Order: sequence, then C-alpha cells, then structure tokens
Amino acid sequence: MFRGRFFLFVQVFFCCLFLTVAGCGKKESSKNDESAVKVWHWMTDRQAAFEKLADQYYKETGVKVIFETYAPTDVYKNKITAAASGQLLPDIFNPLSDKRELASYIKAGFIENLNDEMNKGWKDVFFEKSLVQNMFEKNNEWGVEPGYYGVPLDVSSLMIYYNKDLFAKAGLDPNKPPKTWNEFIEAGKKLRAAGIQPFVSGFGEAWLVGSLASSYQWNLFGKQGILDTIQGKITYTDPRWIKIFELFNEMKENKMFASGIVTMINKDAERTFATGKAAMALNGSWGVNVYKSMNPSLQYGIMYPPSLPDAKYPLLVFGGDGSSMFVNAMSPKKDKAIAFLKWFTQREQQSFLAKETLNIPSNKESAQDLPEILKEFSKSIDQTFENLPMIESWQVTNYINTNLQSVIIGEKTPKQAAEEVQAEKERQMKVEK
Amino acid sequence: MNSFKTKKQILDFITHAILLAVAVTCIFPVFWMLSSSLKTQEEIFTKMTLLPEVWQWSNYVDAFVKAEFGMYFLNSVIYTVVGVSAIVLITSMAAYGFARLEFWGKNFLFYLLISTLLIPIPGVFVPLYLLLKKLALLDTRTGLLLCYISGALAFGLFLLRSFFEDLPKEIEEAALIDGCSRFGIYWRIALPLAKPAIATLVILQCLAIWNEFLLALVVLQDKAKMPIQRGLMVFQGTFITDYPLLMAGLTIATIPIVIIYLLMQKHIVKGIAAGALKG
Amino acid sequence: MNISPKEKTLNMMFIMPALVLFLVFNLYPLIRTFQLSFYQWNGIDKDMLFVGFAQYKHILFNNPAFWKSMLNAGYVTLLSLTLQNGLALLLAILVNRQIRGGNIYRVIFFLPPVLSGIVVGLIWKFVYDGNFGILNHWLMSLGFENFKDFAWLSEVKTSLSSVAIVHMWKGFGYGFIILLAGLQTIPVELYEAAEVDGADKWQQFKNITVPCMIPVFTLVTILTILGSMQIFDLIYSMTRGGPAGHTHVPITKIYEYMSNGEFGYSTAMAIIFGFVLLVVSFFQLYVSKKFNR
Repeated sequence: MFRGRFFLFVQVFFCCLFLTVAGCGKKESSKNDESAVKVWHWMTDRQAAFEKLADQYYKETGVKVIFETYAPTDVYKNKITAAASGQLLPDIFNPLSDKRELASYIKAGFIENLNDEMNKGWKDVFFEKSLVQNMFEKNNEWGVEPGYYGVPLDVSSLMIYYNKDLFAKAGLDPNKPPKTWNEFIEAGKKLRAAGIQPFVSGFGEAWLVGSLASSYQWNLFGKQGILDTIQGKITYTDPRWIKIFELFNEMKENKMFASGIVTMINKDAERTFATGKAAMALNGSWGVNVYKSMNPSLQYGIMYPPSLPDAKYPLLVFGGDGSSMFVNAMSPKKDKAIAFLKWFTQREQQSFLAKETLNIPSNKESAQDLPEILKEFSKSIDQTFENLPMIESWQVTNYINTNLQSVIIGEKTPKQAAEEVQAEKERQMKVEK
Repeated sequence: MNSFKTKKQILDFITHAILLAVAVTCIFPVFWMLSSSLKTQEEIFTKMTLLPEVWQWSNYVDAFVKAEFGMYFLNSVIYTVVGVSAIVLITSMAAYGFARLEFWGKNFLFYLLISTLLIPIPGVFVPLYLLLKKLALLDTRTGLLLCYISGALAFGLFLLRSFFEDLPKEIEEAALIDGCSRFGIYWRIALPLAKPAIATLVILQCLAIWNEFLLALVVLQDKAKMPIQRGLMVFQGTFITDYPLLMAGLTIATIPIVIIYLLMQKHIVKGIAAGALKG
Repeated sequence: MNISPKEKTLNMMFIMPALVLFLVFNLYPLIRTFQLSFYQWNGIDKDMLFVGFAQYKHILFNNPAFWKSMLNAGYVTLLSLTLQNGLALLLAILVNRQIRGGNIYRVIFFLPPVLSGIVVGLIWKFVYDGNFGILNHWLMSLGFENFKDFAWLSEVKTSLSSVAIVHMWKGFGYGFIILLAGLQTIPVELYEAAEVDGADKWQQFKNITVPCMIPVFTLVTILTILGSMQIFDLIYSMTRGGPAGHTHVPITKIYEYMSNGEFGYSTAMAIIFGFVLLVVSFFQLYVSKKFNR
C-alpha cells in the first residue's frame, strides 16, 4: 500500500517539476513591463495611495510606474542589500541606512546625485530639513561628492503626545502641558498618584530611547559640543552626559515609566497610549494616523520634550525626512524616475498623500492643507536635529541606548552608565586607529 | 482484580489530567488567533473579550483578496511538494549510502555534509544570491527550490542515517543474495521501512518550506512566483499592523500545514511494524 | 567483506545528488562567507579591506556582549534539554499508553510548532504584559498582590527565563513526535516478555525503554541543542534582546552587526559561533556513544 502511495507521490513530484520548468519559460510574459519605472518601498499602509497616483501618472504621461512593497523594514533591507550586490536594484529605492552606509551606496555608484535637478528649483518645494538629511556637504567625513541625493516623500518629527482626558482626571490643565523639566516631573507625580501611568514609548526599540537622549544632548552641548564628543575631545563621563542619564533616572525614581517600557516595541507603546493606559507618549508624527485607526475618539495634544533649566542651547527633536527615495544611478530609466519623483512631490500629489495617509508632506505648500494637529507637527520640523558632517560609531550609540535601558530598570547608576559608554568609546577609537 | 482496575482508572485519570492541561495551553493561541480574526481592529485594542461582539466573517474574504492568496497559494504548494519530495528522495538515498555502503571518504564526507547544520550564517544570502545570479537561476522557481533542498540536506541526512543503520540487515542481505540490486533494496526494502523517519522529515520540512519567506523574497523578483508568506506581509505595516486581517491571513495560511500534519502523523504510528522486525 | 573499487565507485552514486547540491549550494557559499570574515566590508563598498584575524581577535577579547549572548543561549539550551525534553518524554509516554483520545493529543501538541512565530510572540506578550497580562491577573487573584504591574519581560531577573519558557512551549512538540515515533518502534514483545518475567513498570522503563531509545534521545538532544542555541525569532519578536541586552543571543547579536553594515565582522562571529556548536555537538555525540555501549 505504501508503494502505491509512494508512486503517486513521485508522479505529483514530476508534475510539479514540469510546472516549475514551464513557469521558468513563462518569464517572457512579464517582460512587457520592462519599460516601467520600478519602485521598491516598505510602506505597506501607503501602497493603495501610491498605486492611485501611479495610475494617474500613467494616464497623464503614458509612463508606467510599479510600486512594490517589502515589509517589515528588515526584510526590505535584506532585499536591497542583496539586490545591490547583484546590481539588480530597482529604479527607485531607499537603502534605509545611516549616513555612513548611504555614503557607501553613493560611492559604489548605486545612487544618483540630484544636484542639478534640485538646483533648478526642485529643492525649493521642500521643507529644508527634509533635504539636508540626505545631502552631503563639502569636505564630509566620507569623501562623498557634495550634493543632494534623496527625494523626501514626507517629513516627520518626534514629539510627546499627551492624553487630555487623563490629564484632566489627574487634576492637570489639559490645555497647558508641562514646558520645563520640573513641571514634567510634577505632572508625572500627579498622574501616578491618580493611578495613571505617566509616560510610554517604544523604548524596546533602542533608537527611540536614544532619540530622547539626543534631544537633551543638543540642549546641553549644542552642535560643536556634539561634534567634539564624536571626535573624542569631550568624554561621555562629562557631567552633562551624566546629567542626561540622571534625567532618565529621575523619571524612573518618580515612577514615570509605563510597566515594561524597556522591551516595548513602538507598536505596543502606541496601543498603550491609544487605549488610555498611559498619559504621555513619545512618538513620531505618524502616530496621528495610528491613533486614529486604533481609537478614533482619543483626545490628545502634543508638546515638545521639556527643556532643562540650565541648558545653554535650544532643545531639538528627532526628525526631518520621514521617508525619502533615491534614484538608481545605474538604471537606464533614471531620467524617467527623476521626472516621476518630481511630479510626485508637487503640491497636488503631496496633498493627496497627506490626506490619504495622514503624514506630513515634504512639500511645504501642501502643509497648508493639513489638519490642525499635523500642522502643529509640521511647525516642529524646523526644530529637528541639524545635519552633522560626521556621526558617532553605531557601537557607541548602541552602548548609549543599552545603558539608558539599564538606568531605567535600575541596574546601573547614571555614573556607571556613563563610564560604560566611555569605555566602549575608547575601545572603538582604538579600532579606528 | 478489582484493585487492579481502580489503579488503572486512577492512572488513566492522572494521564488525562496532565495531557489535558498541556493541551489547553496549546489550543489557547489557536483559539485566540481565530477569535481575533473575527474582530475589528478597534475591538482588539479596546476590549479584552474572548469572543468577538459581531463576528466579522468578511475579514477572511478581505484577507484573501488583499493578500492575493489566490496568486500565491499554488506557488507555495509547488515549492512545498517539489521541495519536500526532492529532499526525501535525495537525502534518503544519501543517508542509505552512508548507513550501508562502502565508498571512499565516507566518514569525512558525512561529517562535512552534516557540519552545515551547525554553522548558521545570517549573511549567507549574499554569496548565495551572487551564486544564483552566476548560474542564471535568480528569479526562477528552480533556483529557490535548489536553495531549499540544499538547506535541508544536513538535517535529512542526520535524521535518516541513524534510522537506516538501526534497520535489521538480514532482509537486505537475503535480498542481495536473491539478486536484487543495491538500488532495488534501497527502493523496495529500506525506504518503506524507514517510513516513520520519513514522515517526520516530511512534516518538519513542509513546515519549514511553507513558512519560509526571507529567501524567497531575496531570490525572486517576480511577484507571480512568490509564496503565500509574501501575502501576509501586506498586513504588517511599518506603523500599523492590521491585526484582524493578519490573523485571518495567518489562519488561512496555517490550515494546509495542519492538514499535512494530520495526514503524515498516522505514518509515524505505523512505524511499529518497522520496530517489530528489529526485535 | 571485501568490496571491489568498482563497487565503491558505484556506491558513490547514492550520495552523488546530495553531494553535488551540497558542494554548489552549501560549501561554496560557506567558503565565500568564511573568506569574508577576514575582511572589513559592509556589503556595499567596491573594495573590501583585508584585516586578517583582527576581527576574530576583537570578538574573542574585546566583545564581552557577544560572549554574554552565548551564555544566555546556553542557559536557554540547558533549560530546554531538561524541562522541555522531560515534558516531551512524559507526554510521549502518556500518549503511548494507548489511552482513549491519544490521537487527538498527538495533533494538539504539535500546534505550537505549526503556529507562526508572529502569533506566538503576540500571544505570549499578552500573557506576560505588566498591565493587563493574564499571568499577573491570575497571580493577583491568588493573592500575590505585589505582582501588580510586574513586567516579566523587562525585569533583569525574569526576562531570559520568560523567553525560555515560550521557546520550550513552542518546541516541545517536535521532541514529542520524535520520541513518540521512537517509543512506537520498540517491539511490544519485549514488554510482554518482561511482564512474564515479573518486571514492574519502572524496571521495564529502565531496562527496555531507555536502552532502546538512546539513539532517539541522541537525535532529540542534538536537535534541541541546535534549535535552542540558534534561537532567534521569538527573542526578536518579544524583547529584541532587551532589557539592556539581557536576552541577547548569538544570532540576534550577529544580526545586529549585520544590519549595521558589518558584514565581515558578523560572519567572523558566525564562524566562531559555528565552531562552538561543533564542539558542543561532537562532545554530545561522544557522550551518547559511550552510553550506547
């Protein structure tokens, strides 16, 4: 009996093998799309809106644009890395990398320099901050030809959302969110006393905890101070850095963090805030759309992270370009790709995208057409981190983030944490030599 | 006699109590998946009820359409059937060779082959990608299948060789004297006897291939060739996860694999025959 | 038995398909990756910087976090070897008792391995959640009031064990079916003969079940070691290595370096990790061979 079934098995096997081979031959059929401009992106939630615009573009110009999604972002990144090594990148993509890696892509000839196009007036339509992040200055650390490389599709920034109902419940004025650090801590105490978790964020994703620390780094050190730190002229055991770690310690001492914050990914943090389980949330401007889909009746406002009383420099927030796109320099269709992106970033298209996906458009004129809360966000774009000609090594950044987590769970004192980071910094500086 | 019976009853009771307790923990997630797949997104976030208020059967239709399962389903079936059949054929042949036959460099080759079980290289997809490009197998079903098959070699060999070694030699020797060829012995005698091991291999490899999608996404460019897991991607947004549709999609994607398991697990039971010969 | 060279060559045909595939699709990429481990390369740059053993040296002497991740994986593996396999064996023996409904359990116990990692991660996060998790809810209703807000996955003391429990829960089904398959290959006659000789259940277990099962135990042990040391998905979906790196395991570390553009370095890590696994596995094989005798 087994044999009978086994032969059936073998037959199915060969049938499928045949189908497979037949499938390979069928490749020709998809070749008629060869003239289309291909875009790979990771924004699954925007695919429908993108496709609508692509249809419209096809009707207007006869050029076909195909949007393909690969998500989540790490999957997308794998796909891009492999495609780059095989020189099979699509016409429009984003390597989703830090500036160092972006420089490698440019130097390897994968990404087109858009300087000429941008200078012909294209750049004027954008928020300035959204462009500088993917721009290289003269004499940059990596030796990349200066110029504009990325085309921002939208902009974003990281702010603190607060739940107005919960603020009122704890006896706080829902229209006057805390402005200074002390007010922030006081608000936290009141919220905790009212049985409400004061603060949540996706601190399990290290970059979020790091971004808040960076805000205070700008606040305390200023641009030159940060550059000096990267170059090792200022150590991480500087009193100001210890102060940054102490801020997190203070929040912990006052029980401001939501339960489990250090392993929480941002999607979970968003759920916690949207369901009223925490009163404040550090989150990006995309949160507006997320909260709307999770709990449309949520009443909230936004505020800047509270600044420090003794700080000499302005407090800046993480942000700038939300998602940018790059043109494949090796593509024979790069002119078509650039033309499409130009069209794509015009006011009409951008307003459509903003309306459909509730993101802040990169086109500053379209920002006029936004709902109130996003307008508020768009004002903060000018307050985002400045472009730096160099960045800290990722290992050190990693150590900062991990040690911030250590402080939050009370495993290390601020001083110990700062020392650990400095030790790693010294190890990395040795490697660089 | 009576006390013997009560003792057995007590034992049976304890047995069932333990089994049931573990079973409940195994069923709960499935129940949760099903129940979430019938809720609305808002309900999942704001209410913690076990059952949906209104049963959203339309989620299944939406999931099927949005994830384009219709397109991906056949692909996944092809990859799984062809891949697993080839794995079974190729590894069982090799395992039989290593277990029974003499040839040059046998031990060295065996350890070399199974050593790949030990070195997990997350970055291996880059050399693999370049290799497929060189062989003109990029974006082909054949290329992906060859990756799947070679990826399972070490495990299959490891699993099957010891089974073949444990099979009684006597029948095979008798068959050899009767003039049966080595291949004939493998095909007609050894392979059927190794059924429990093969059933295990089939289940595990079906699971592996059906659920795999990282390699598929890297190797394939053409959407029309992608497997079912590609469809599930649609629901995991960068910023928002559409939980009800994701759960509905997961349920749809899980059903075939459960069916395969139901079919194959019976063969494991029938392995008694193989053991009886040994005794 | 004397075997002619011609037959030896002919016998090679059995392993040929596997060997060819292996050489092309496993060994070649592996050698290329091995080669990579001597270079500093981010996967994109045109030229790679040859650094010899520098990256190996750095991993061995200057990367305490990597070795800590190795210990974490070792801890998960030890728990799996004892608790997970103990449970799998117990359940296999119970189901093998020919009780009513045994078939149903066989199906149910294999559900966790079948379920996707996404579902498992999501559900267990709900179980462990500090605010509205089921676990805390139960503990508090049993009178343990101090578990209010206790975040199992975020506390240094409990995070790794909590993840390990989920890993074992997801994995025991594999051990269970393999062990059950093994139990069923033990001929019933052996037990019947022992029964006649007056051996009690424990003696039967000790003298028949265990010796017959040693090859199966070896298989399950090796699979458990490999599966647990290479744990990744669950960690990634539940804690991402946090809090403060306390649940990092080698693969998450390797992944972290790779996604930061350290291709060369991460392959060197993978090679070192593979070497450790090799040593552990051969030690395990050696021990079980000794038992077998």
